Amino acid sequence: MAWNEPGGSGGKDPWGQRRKEQGPPDLDQILKNIRNKLTGLFGGKRGGANNESVNRYGMWLIIGVALVLWLLSGFYIVQQSERGVVLRFGKKSEITGPGGLHWHWPFPIEHVEKVNVEQVSTLWIGRRNDKSVGAAGADSGYMLTEDENIIVIEFSVQYKVKDPGDYLFNVRDPVSTIVQATESAVREVVGKSQLDFIMTEGQFEVADKTRVLLQQILDRYKCGIQITQVQMQKASPPDDVKAAFEDAIKAREDGDRYIQDAKAYENDIIPRARGGAARLIQEAQGYKASVTARAEGDARRFTSIEKEYAKAPGVTRERMYLETMEQVLSSTSKIFVDLKGGNNVLYLPLEKLVPRASASDAGPVNTLQPLPEPMERSAPAAANSERARDSSRERGTR
Amino acid sequence: MTQTKLLAVIGLVVLGIIIVNGTVYSVDERERAVVVRFGQVIRYDDKPGLHFKQPFLDAVHFFPAQILTLEVEPQQIPTIEKKYVVVDSYVKWRIADVLKYFVALGGDELKARDRLSQVINSGLRGEFGKRTMHDVIAGDRAKIMEVLSVNADKAASEYGIEVVDVRIQRVELPPQVRGSVYERMKSERGRIAKELRAKGAEQAEKIRANAERQRDILLAEAYRDAQRIRGEGDARVTGITGRAFGVNPEFYALYRSLSAYRESFKNKDDMLVVDPSADFFKYFKNPRRGAPSGQ
Repeated sequence: MAWNEPGGSGGKDPWGQRRKEQGPPDLDQILKNIRNKLTGLFGGKRGGANNESVNRYGMWLIIGVALVLWLLSGFYIVQQSERGVVLRFGKKSEITGPGGLHWHWPFPIEHVEKVNVEQVSTLWIGRRNDKSVGAAGADSGYMLTEDENIIVIEFSVQYKVKDPGDYLFNVRDPVSTIVQATESAVREVVGKSQLDFIMTEGQFEVADKTRVLLQQILDRYKCGIQITQVQMQKASPPDDVKAAFEDAIKAREDGDRYIQDAKAYENDIIPRARGGAARLIQEAQGYKASVTARAEGDARRFTSIEKEYAKAPGVTRERMYLETMEQVLSSTSKIFVDLKGGNNVLYLPLEKLVPRASASDAGPVNTLQPLPEPMERSAPAAANSERARDSSRERGTR
Repeated sequence: MTQTKLLAVIGLVVLGIIIVNGTVYSVDERERAVVVRFGQVIRYDDKPGLHFKQPFLDAVHFFPAQILTLEVEPQQIPTIEKKYVVVDSYVKWRIADVLKYFVALGGDELKARDRLSQVINSGLRGEFGKRTMHDVIAGDRAKIMEVLSVNADKAASEYGIEVVDVRIQRVELPPQVRGSVYERMKSERGRIAKELRAKGAEQAEKIRANAERQRDILLAEAYRDAQRIRGEGDARVTGITGRAFGVNPEFYALYRSLSAYRESFKNKDDMLVVDPSADFFKYFKNPRRGAPSGQ
């Protein structure tokens, strides 16, 4: 059986007669209570003497709770990467962090401003349609070099907060200060450099000088920022002259190519020439050795024969002559002409006998015997002329 | 009765807040304050923190204590050669003397910026007008900025302003001049390109010529040596044969002639027109011709 059963006869419950007053509270009752408590607080003795002590306690309770809540509002969390700068009545009193739960005197005594000191941020300078460059506008990357040429440069600047106090208090709008200072520093460095230098080997140097100068400028403002890196993202000629620059680069390649081609030619012909020279020498030495050897052979042979010849010159002479003639006549074609017959009008149709005489080189005119007849090389197939009498033809086949 | 009491209490609280509010003020790290009573500055150098003043009588004016930026509008400024350049710059300044600043400018930041702009502009014109284009871009930029800073600081000090830094951002050519610069750059590149190609060709030609020279010398020297060697060979041949054949020149003539005949007429294609009266044929017609000697 429930204690709070409504309409029960003779309500017996642990709160006794107070039960009815603790029923579902209505709004009027609450307001009245508050009013009573307030009046009790400010010394109003009229408001029900029996409730006075209760009201006082309630009063202090409320004040206490409010005080505790107020004090609790002073807790704050600082992330590992952050620092909290505590300002007491606007004056910097302490810097908290890195990380953890901290407490400051609540508003209006103190307040805290948190700054991320680890995060590295990046700014782009000179990039087109970048609004952050402000007044510099669309062609902010255009810069004049020392030789009064125009170059387009894109920079990225990375920075982080070095001193949160300085960062917060010393300069109004530190980030756009970095942009302004970078624009100025870059141009100062670029203005002292030649175009070709910037575009080729000078990229690092320009970026590095810019970083140093930029840091000097920012330190002068004490804006609490550390420049970690300045990088030249792009250094190129303006679009209008790009083609000319590309051609110049190509020209360099062309020039190198010419030289390489020539070197290839050199490497081709010199070894060949060396080879040719070696061949000449070798051939000459071969010639020398061979003609010497041949000569020695000939000499020995002659000497041997001569020894025998000396023993019987007449017979040997005859024998040698006949052997030679035999060999000569047997291996050649012959036309036998007896001029003693008296017919002096001898016609030898050499054109027919020698059909290819014109093609081949003119053969030497040899005189076998004291005979005024020309002897020509001729084709074996040469037909006999009808005019030629007493001529016999013999195929020199052996 | 309780209600009137309540009102009184609320009134007291509000009054208290007003009094406290009127008496106490805090100055932030980023600010400086000037306290004015009936138009008279009675205190002007309040450091950050909590301060007190007379309620109702004293008015507090706050001014920024930070370094502020003034971006000077881009200007076309002539150099000494009457060439125009577009210059934009910025000024970093701060309020150094709050009293002077308050008195001279009424604490109006816009007015301060206006004055500063004038100072910087005339300074820029003065410095640029003394220098050549090249000096402005390259050599003297840092010096110009230095001079401008010092002069501007001097000029602005009467307003209680400290000029921390004046920096030139851009020194550019006006858009209408750019075209000619581009043309110059183009022709310069063209020159460089030609030069590079020609230099490459020069080197290449030298290398080729040198290579050919070496080749010719190599071959010629080899020819010389070869001829010398051949000559030695020929000389040796002459020596050998001369010694051998000199023993019997008459026989040599025979021997050599016969071998020459053999060599000359060994081909079937060779055709001899032979006279039978030749000595070789003496027995061909008359076998007895030489017989008497034999009989």
